[in-house]
Amino acid sequence: MFKLKVSDAKLLRDMVTAISILVDEATFKIEPEGLKLRAMDPSRVAMIDFEWPKTVFEEYVCEAPSKMCINISELLRLLKRAGKDEAVELSLDEKTGRLQIKITGKYSRNFNMPTLEASEEEVPTPKITFNVKAKATTQGLSQAIEDAQLVSDHVRIEADTEKLVLNATGDLMGATITLQKGSDALLDLEVKENSKATFSLSYLAEIIKAASATSDIATLEFSTDMPIKIDFQQTKEGKLTFFLAPRIESE
Amino acid sequence: MATLFKSLAVFLEKVEATKKRLEIIAIAADFLKSLDAEDVEPAVSLILGRAFPKWSQKTLDVSWTTLSGVLQRITDVDWSVFHEAFAHTGDVGAAAKALFEKTNVQRQTLLQDETLTILEVRRLLDAIASATGAGSREKKERLITTLLSQASPVEVKYLVKIFIGEMRTGMHEGLMEQAVALAFNVPLAAVQKASMTLGDIAEVAAMAKVGGKAQLEQLGFQVFRPVKLMLAQSADDVAEVLAQHGGKTAFEYKYDGARVQIHKRGGDVRVFSRRLTDVTRSLPEVVKAVKANVNASEAILEGEVIAVDHGGRPIPFQHLMRRFKRIREVQDTAEEIPVALYLFDMLYLNGESLISLPYVQRRRILAENAGGIPLTKQVITDRKEEAEAFLKEAIDSGHEGLMAKKLDSPYTPGARGKRWFKIKPVLEPLDLVITAAEYGYGRRHEWLSDYYLAARDAVTGEFLNVGKTFKGLTDAEMAEMTKRLKALAVHEERNRVFVLPRIVVEVTYNEIQKSPKYKSGMALRFARISRIREDKTAEEADTIEKIKHIYEQQFAKKGKYKTE
Repeated sequence: MFKLKVSDAKLLRDMVTAISILVDEATFKIEPEGLKLRAMDPSRVAMIDFEWPKTVFEEYVCEAPSKMCINISELLRLLKRAGKDEAVELSLDEKTGRLQIKITGKYSRNFNMPTLEASEEEVPTPKITFNVKAKATTQGLSQAIEDAQLVSDHVRIEADTEKLVLNATGDLMGATITLQKGSDALLDLEVKENSKATFSLSYLAEIIKAASATSDIATLEFSTDMPIKIDFQQTKEGKLTFFLAPRIESE
Repeated sequence: MATLFKSLAVFLEKVEATKKRLEIIAIAADFLKSLDAEDVEPAVSLILGRAFPKWSQKTLDVSWTTLSGVLQRITDVDWSVFHEAFAHTGDVGAAAKALFEKTNVQRQTLLQDETLTILEVRRLLDAIASATGAGSREKKERLITTLLSQASPVEVKYLVKIFIGEMRTGMHEGLMEQAVALAFNVPLAAVQKASMTLGDIAEVAAMAKVGGKAQLEQLGFQVFRPVKLMLAQSADDVAEVLAQHGGKTAFEYKYDGARVQIHKRGGDVRVFSRRLTDVTRSLPEVVKAVKANVNASEAILEGEVIAVDHGGRPIPFQHLMRRFKRIREVQDTAEEIPVALYLFDMLYLNGESLISLPYVQRRRILAENAGGIPLTKQVITDRKEEAEAFLKEAIDSGHEGLMAKKLDSPYTPGARGKRWFKIKPVLEPLDLVITAAEYGYGRRHEWLSDYYLAARDAVTGEFLNVGKTFKGLTDAEMAEMTKRLKALAVHEERNRVFVLPRIVVEVTYNEIQKSPKYKSGMALRFARISRIREDKTAEEADTIEKIKHIYEQQFAKKGKYKTE
């Protein structure tokens, strides 16, 4: 038996939106202590690691650990029907294998959707030694990314002990965005070794945009030409972390 | 060991380099032999320019705008390099390869290392096809970027060809059947028969690899897996048909509509077009009619769907084709353009294949199972006068002409033979592919209104121009065509735009002439577009060989007139 309830639909909707950036079909692990998801996007360039302990929910029931796979964009379409401050309840009907979505507030609606065959693939966490750790506001970060997007489809992120610099070079235009340590946007910066790596903005911008709705502060960790780890601190307990592989010049 | 996509690309380079059929078959057989069982179907599909097995309803749905955008971004090379290479080779794949050779591609790395095997290519193509709904364009772009940035220039050349669906290597299905027979030591006839039944040589190849001749011989129909259509040859007149069939023949109205294959199991009905794509949602009336009238629990039927006016009289074919294009607005269109279904054949009934039965017997079984659905109007005769009167009656009622079917003919999927003839009274129109277009003058200066028309070279798969026309389309159609061609544009020279060969049009003309102007050596005089064939792919366009045949026929007739 599995059932969960949130009193504000927005919480669930924002989280599902963040997941939908990378995966179409998501296999959740349902465990007595909470809900987990770890998945790679189909191109294996990016990965999401998500955990919601049962304390996040108003109600959470899981009698035995299991897996549940659902089509994320379909679920999102249903969740978008919920208004602000409406409650959402998800439960799995074990007889039919369908997920029941109950939205209550101004009036009540019951949707149901099929569950899919769960993926058996175990996604390992990339093992990386990070030389830079930067703590930024998600607002500052979103702005910086939007600046870079104006001129290019990729961005080089560089750090030394004083600052974090985003460098974008396009066909015609360029942009350099500097976040000084201790500024309003960059709360903290630890650098063991000066590092730089280039990332596709098509992934980075979407991840940051979607995850910012769930979080005010993000921690970036990276090293030269290695995947970046971005952890979005959750207002309640829980974890939302992304990994993104870099782009490098071949030869 | 899983085979690298690079091996496949290198193999295709070898195929492209030779014109000798036997050599192509031999190297293809060697390549097939080197593959693991699970690689065979994807490899054969990809070699023939198909991302997925033929029966699969998946489509990549990637526009040239998207694809060229990705090529440009990852190579960061001036696009003139592409144009120069295209002008030189006329080949989009080769032009993309030139871009990649000019650059240090900025490679998108992965979190988990993957080598670009044939199966990994298929997995990514699957993911591209699955990306639908909001944000799908971005998702497709990211996946294509990942795929292409893992690839070497020669791999890019063939990946791009697979995306646009035109290989131009000289490898086609017929040669592949021979290669499969040779590679897995199976008689060619068994491979061909299995290929007809399944409609997909790639799957047949995989079966031949695993189970050999024995498995191929066990193959049967499966409901909801469309079967290749039996095709008809053109005949000049009723007399020719009667002579060929040696006596009585079944003459039937040839309706100006769309041929459909209908599959039924229990309460489920699906309708497939002649391209074998699922058009069930476009034709709700057909589904309804079959559900209400056909009682058999399992059946595969064939028929013709025609558009009719509110009085039930046939109206031109273009109106019907609009239905296939606009699936979403079916309800509206259904009210606007009603359709009528006429059945003419039955291939399968309750677990039994009927295709080796004689046509008359299949037709009798069809009549017993069709309920109230009308069959195509038929006359069986060996008398020339009666057949000619029937032809006149068909034309007078607004139909295209007649079909003539040999009474004892089995249904041979995918084959075009003398068992079925089509008789159309005018010089037969040709289905040609638009390969380039020019902007017009005056009122038409904003439209691509002058079209280069090409026929397929059956041997090389290349499209060769045979004419050019600005006649036949209405202003509205021309505006729409301009939009579609612009989306397919790969290269521009002055006011001429070269496009991917995707759009098929039916073309009428007064005469075929020999001409040194075109590489094909043939030119159409007074060509005019009579309709847009939304139901045909470029692969199904008419061939240069057919045009040469018509040319010779027309010559023979002229000669005869002189002596008379």
